[in-house]
Amino acid sequence: MAASAAVSAAGSGAESAAVRQTAVSVRSVSKTFDGGVLALDGVNFEVPEKQFISVLGPSGCGKSTLLRILGGLFSPDSGGEVRILGRLSTGPSPDVGIVFQTHNLLPWLTLEANIRLAAEVQRIPPAEIAERTERMLEVLRIASFRLRYPHELSGGMRQRAAFGQILILYPQILLLDEPFGALDALTRDKLNVELLRLWEKQKQTVVLITHSIAEAVFLSDRVLVMSDRPGRIIADMPINLQHPRDPQIVRALPEFTRCVLELSRMMGVV
Amino acid sequence: MVVDPAIAFLVLAVIWEKAVDIFGIKRYLLPPLSQVLETFWALRETLLRESLTTAWEVVLGYLLAVIGGVALGLAIFAWPVFRRTLYPAIVVFQGLPKIALAPLMVIWFGFGLSSKVLMAFLFAFFPMVISTLGGLSGTPIQLLEHFRAIRASSWTTFRRLQVPSALPSIMDGCKMAMPLAVIGAVAGEFVGSEKGLGSLILVANANAKTDLMFAALIAISIVAGVLYVFVELVAKRVWWRAL
Repeated sequence: MAASAAVSAAGSGAESAAVRQTAVSVRSVSKTFDGGVLALDGVNFEVPEKQFISVLGPSGCGKSTLLRILGGLFSPDSGGEVRILGRLSTGPSPDVGIVFQTHNLLPWLTLEANIRLAAEVQRIPPAEIAERTERMLEVLRIASFRLRYPHELSGGMRQRAAFGQILILYPQILLLDEPFGALDALTRDKLNVELLRLWEKQKQTVVLITHSIAEAVFLSDRVLVMSDRPGRIIADMPINLQHPRDPQIVRALPEFTRCVLELSRMMGVV
Repeated sequence: MVVDPAIAFLVLAVIWEKAVDIFGIKRYLLPPLSQVLETFWALRETLLRESLTTAWEVVLGYLLAVIGGVALGLAIFAWPVFRRTLYPAIVVFQGLPKIALAPLMVIWFGFGLSSKVLMAFLFAFFPMVISTLGGLSGTPIQLLEHFRAIRASSWTTFRRLQVPSALPSIMDGCKMAMPLAVIGAVAGEFVGSEKGLGSLILVANANAKTDLMFAALIAISIVAGVLYVFVELVAKRVWWRAL
C-alpha cells in the first residue's frame, strides 16, 4: 500500500511517464472472422504501465474484439502480435484480468464464494484467499452482502462484485469491456467515481472499452477513437486532467468540455 | 394451499359416488367410490404387496435410467465421436414406441423383475440423456469465456461451471422421467407378469372385478405420487434456474 501511494504521488508529475515500461503493445493487429468479416484492420498502439486508457467507438466497431485479443481469448490474424509486459501473448495471461459487461457471477454461489472463485481456480493458498477476499469485500463496499446470492442483489452491487471476481487475482493489467454498460446512468456515474478512486490508489494499467464519451474523458489519461467496422484507430488523444479527479470539479473544467467536444466531433455526434 | 385441492378432490368424489346412482350406471362399469374404497381396505395387504413390487421395479429402472442417462449425456457431450455415432442412433430409437418392446423384454428377460425394470428404464432413459446434454450444452458462452480468462482448466470448468449450470435441466429431466418409469413398469407387467399392480389389474379385469381394478388404479396413483414427491424434494435442492 505504501509503495502504491508513493507511485500515485509521483505519478501526478507528467515526466514520470517517460520512464514507464510498456504494459501492452499491439502491433498490426487485424481480425477476420469465419466468413471473411473484417472486424479489425491494422490496429497499432502501446499502453505504458499504470496508464488508464479508453477505447471509444461506435457499437459494432470491433472494440470488444480488440479487448478479447488483448486478453488472449481471441488470436489476431497472422502478422499481428500482442505483447503483455513485453511477452508475446499466446492466450489468457495471469497478469491480465477482464471485467465484462455482463457480470459473470454464478447464481449458485454467494457473493463471497463468487469473489473467491478465481483465486481458488488458480490455487492461491487458502489463507491468502481469505485475506484477499476480505480486502475485496471491503474495498468494493459489499461486505454486508457477502452471504447473499447474485439474484438478491441490485445491478450496481453485482457489477461491484464482478470487479471483485477479477481484482482478487491482483492483475497488473485490467481490461474492462463496457463494465457499466448494463447499468442505469446514476449507478454508472457512481461506479465511475469509485473505479477512479480505486485506480488512483492501485494504479494498474487499465484498458477500458466504452461508447460513452464522458465516461472515457472522466476516467482516462488517454483516449483512442476507433472507426466504424472494420475497426481502425483514428485518433489518439491525451486527457490532461490532474489526479485525483473530483467529479464535480473535473466535469466543469474547460479541458473536460474541450475533450468531450472534440471526441464528439470525431465520432460524428455533433 | 392444501384446502383448495382437498375441496376439489372431495367434490369429485361426491360426483362419482352420486353419479352412479343418479344415472343408473351399471356397477361392473363404474362401481361407486364407496365400494372401491371398501375393496381397497379389504384387500389392503394384497394391494400393498403388489404396490411394493411395482414400486421396486420403478425405482430400479428409474435409477438405472438416471445414472445411465446422465453418463451417456456426459459422454456424448465430452466426446464428439459419440455425438456423431451414438446420438443419432438414440434419436432414431426414441422414435420407436417403447411399449412395443415389452413382449420382447419378456421373451428375453422372463416374467420376473428384470423385464419390468428394463421397461421402466427404457421409458425413463431418453429424457435423462436429452436433459443432461441440453443442460451441459446450455452453459452461457460468456461464463465459459470468463472461465477461460481466469485460466481455469477444462476439468475445473466442467466441475465448477458446466455441471452446476446443467443441474436445473437434469433435475427437470428427473421429474419428467419418473412418471414415464411408472408407465414402463406397468406396461411390462401387462405383457407378462404374475406380480405387481399391472398384473393385478389384468386379474381384476378377467374376473370382472371393476372395483378391484379401480382400487389398483388408486394404488398406482399413490405409488406414482409418492415417488414423484421424492424426486421433487431432491430437485428442490437445485434452486437456481438455468442461467
